[in-house]
Amino acid sequence: MTTGLVYILYVLFAAAGAAVLLAMPRPDGGYVRSGFVVGVGALAGLLALCSYTFMAPHASNIFFYFFAAVAVLAAGRVVTHPNPTYSAVYFGLVVLSVAVLLVMERAEFLAVALVIIYAGAILVTYAFVIMLAQQSGAAGPDVRSREPFMAVLVSFVVMGAIAGQVGEVNRLPANLPTVQTAPAVMADVPVGSKPTREVGNTLAVGQSMFDDYVVVVQLAGLLLLVAMVGAIAVSRKQIPVEEVGPPPPAPGTIGRQVPPF
Amino acid sequence: MPDSGAYIILGALLFAVGMVGFLARRNLIVMFLSTEIMLQGVLLNLVGFDRMYPSVDGQVFGLFVLVIAAVEAGLGLGLVVLLFRRKGTLDSEVWATMQG
Repeated sequence: MTTGLVYILYVLFAAAGAAVLLAMPRPDGGYVRSGFVVGVGALAGLLALCSYTFMAPHASNIFFYFFAAVAVLAAGRVVTHPNPTYSAVYFGLVVLSVAVLLVMERAEFLAVALVIIYAGAILVTYAFVIMLAQQSGAAGPDVRSREPFMAVLVSFVVMGAIAGQVGEVNRLPANLPTVQTAPAVMADVPVGSKPTREVGNTLAVGQSMFDDYVVVVQLAGLLLLVAMVGAIAVSRKQIPVEEVGPPPPAPGTIGRQVPPF
Repeated sequence: MPDSGAYIILGALLFAVGMVGFLARRNLIVMFLSTEIMLQGVLLNLVGFDRMYPSVDGQVFGLFVLVIAAVEAGLGLGLVVLLFRRKGTLDSEVWATMQG
């Protein structure tokens, strides 16, 4: 990105940070509406900057802008809403918006996996935990936020600096080795012959996963198994010594107490 | 060469919002949700970089990020339930026992 536009990007990130800072929960109620207005303005500016600088064909589509705006605004609401149940629902909206953006990126398998796993399993788990961890009391942890200004400063300065480097990649050296991997839509014919049909994204992802990344798939399965065992071990109720029931019957006496017919 | 800049900026924005939520909120569940928002930003970044090369590596990487997110949510929420049982509140400040 050219130098002048980078500074505009920094200013817009600072405005977005100010919007989130205004909307954070406070004891006096917070300034959610003004935060929302500033946030919409900063987001519109950022999306206009994206359309001006980047030649991505998808970025000129109206759906990209709409769902990008929905994703960021819903994420802002997750972070600033005082009620955690509403945060979980807005997070579902973030996941669905990101899934739409992935479908526009021709990553349909990942988009559907995102909806099933995130909005289907993880969000339901959050809902259960919110149900199990109901707090009784007015002065909960959501009345006041913890150092909101420093949090906004750290996050938005760091991510603004990283986002400001976008566009520098066009100046990479020309003799960079090309990546030899499978294309997004592959033809399932042997090398050298003319491709007759294109396979979908799921098959391409599956072929890449099980050809190049088989070991990672096995490791992911192992990780899931370990996490399952760990979650069950962590959540077992610890029974104090006083609550132990009657001792188990001695071996050989089970069944002797029952009188025969 | 197709450019992925818009997705990078969007990923950075989502990551920043998630980081603010993680650092500034005291409710444990909202802190975890902010972590998941950070992971969504990373996912957009990974898939956005797929535009530059004809590959699906970013999507495969993103699938494994999804696996890690599910694992982390399951284990982390189990721990949140245990922490809630211990103190009766979801406030993370009650666990801030290191002074100074």
